[in-house]
Amino acid sequence: MRALRCLVRKEFKQLRRDTALLRVVFALPIFQLLVLSYALNNDLRNVRVATLDEDRTALSRAVLDAFPASDVFVPGPAARDGDELDSLLRAGACDLAVRVPAGFERDALAGRAPSLGLDVDGTNSSLAGRGAGYAGAIVMREAARFAAAQAGAGVPAPRVEAVVRFLYNPELESRLFMVPGVIVMLVTIISALATGMAVVREKELGTLDQVLVTPLTPLQYVVGKTLPFGLIALADLALATAFAHLWFHVPLLGSPWVLLLGVLAYLLVTLGLGLLASAASNTQQQAMFTMWFFLVFAIMLSGFFFPVDNMPEWARWLTRINPMRYFMDIVRGVLLRGAGLADLRGELLTLLGMGAAAFGGAVLAFRREGARG
Amino acid sequence: MSGEAAVFARGLTRRFGDFTAVASLDLDVMPGEIFGFLGANGAGKTTAIRMLCGLLPPSGGEARVAGCRVGRDTAALKRRIGYMSQRFSLYEDLTVLENLEFFGGVYGLGRAELAARADELLPRLGLDAERGRLTGSLPLGYKQRLALGCALAHRPRVLFLDEPTGGVDPVARRGFWDLIYEQAAAGVTVFVTTHYMDEAEYCGRVSIMVQGGIVALDTPSGLKARTGGADMQDVFLRLVDA
Repeated sequence: MRALRCLVRKEFKQLRRDTALLRVVFALPIFQLLVLSYALNNDLRNVRVATLDEDRTALSRAVLDAFPASDVFVPGPAARDGDELDSLLRAGACDLAVRVPAGFERDALAGRAPSLGLDVDGTNSSLAGRGAGYAGAIVMREAARFAAAQAGAGVPAPRVEAVVRFLYNPELESRLFMVPGVIVMLVTIISALATGMAVVREKELGTLDQVLVTPLTPLQYVVGKTLPFGLIALADLALATAFAHLWFHVPLLGSPWVLLLGVLAYLLVTLGLGLLASAASNTQQQAMFTMWFFLVFAIMLSGFFFPVDNMPEWARWLTRINPMRYFMDIVRGVLLRGAGLADLRGELLTLLGMGAAAFGGAVLAFRREGARG
Repeated sequence: MSGEAAVFARGLTRRFGDFTAVASLDLDVMPGEIFGFLGANGAGKTTAIRMLCGLLPPSGGEARVAGCRVGRDTAALKRRIGYMSQRFSLYEDLTVLENLEFFGGVYGLGRAELAARADELLPRLGLDAERGRLTGSLPLGYKQRLALGCALAHRPRVLFLDEPTGGVDPVARRGFWDLIYEQAAAGVTVFVTTHYMDEAEYCGRVSIMVQGGIVALDTPSGLKARTGGADMQDVFLRLVDA
């Protein structure tokens, strides 16, 4: 018993002296709890609506204006034609596309029950179903109001129909939404964690010193150290995508080359960040906890489970510096919506910029490492 | 003295904040010399060696190693020196041969060159029978000989050995010093730190460092004569305690 007490006391003493670890173990969880609890929710909010008004009548305007007036929908871009409306949905610039066809008001007044198109991005199945229901209700309500306003005696209530289409996931299977998310998480954890660990291990063993005394340059060291893990992550992505396709029947609508381009840019970021974490850590334990902290943030604020659109403004700003969010958009976009290079240009360029910064920072960190005391 | 010193330093200094680890070091070590770099723990030996190897930029003074300016010609300097640190630092999960090939390879040796070098070095290091063994499974004395081999793979002109024989038995140490003599005879300058005073006797010249500066520098017999010490142990204690 005395021996056990002695051992426990020694563990606490050592923990108290590892200030870096203590910070991660106590301060950061509080921070995570605060930020994530406020940021994450599955409420139906901030659903972006793109519109195409081919009717341009009092009724069409009343219906379209009613969306942003509700607390669920926010206005998105207005399209000039049907092709543009489709591409907005495919690029992920909106969640719901409303199309009022020409002659809508006339047909409604004539009792011909015209249909109005509600195209919903079905990738996030739970939100899509609820959003579509809510949107349909708005259409019906506005039509009824319009009828009431028109109601001279004896005018029949105009009937309209909302034709809901769930695009990209017509059966609203949540698996189609989750599987690409899991793939993104796998690639992230394998590439960032494995590199970070491998470098700190060399520090702990002392082999880093032996390598630094050789003519290897910091750039050569960083590239040589990350290339194998980058290739492993690539192989993992290919394996996981093939598995998702064959086993879970997740579609691969877009070009695999766009996916490859995206993952290459993303690996620059994760490998660079893994190296930076290892440069800032002296033990594998510290590196592990640092990476874990960032990974939880990256995953939660990536739109993996909780849509970015639902987050409060400050949290949405945080997602803008989260590389995983862009990669999540790319993977889901390519697999589920068939998004192409033009649709994902912004995400790809952002990742390339972040990758250059992270990798450049890692090279600088190791230049300093070489000159350390 | 004729020709250029293999290790040359004038006023070489390194500060960490307020603490001066190495204070104005002057050195002239000739090619092929075995130079003993002695001092108590914390006297600044390792900091001085790290500067001379290009791992740590000096805060002041100048130094040249194998003709390269320290802090300036770092890339060329690193090619001309070999370094063996006091902590065993080879890859334990690589075999003997793989470690040798890796460290030779990062200095730019080609495949045929590496094979020839391994065939030449491994028998001399007494490691020929162990070439396929994982380094982590070797006894410490073997690991140290392998570390020496890895530091020699690219035929450096100057060899820095920071307490190369710590923790092994006297027979293994004697064997290690035979290897050092072989290298010096072949013209390699050997710059070595040790806490074993019998090893200090094997050096051509010895310097003794106290609190960042050199307090004595001479042949072992010269130092004994000057201080009246019976052996190097005695000399060391008199100079360091003074």
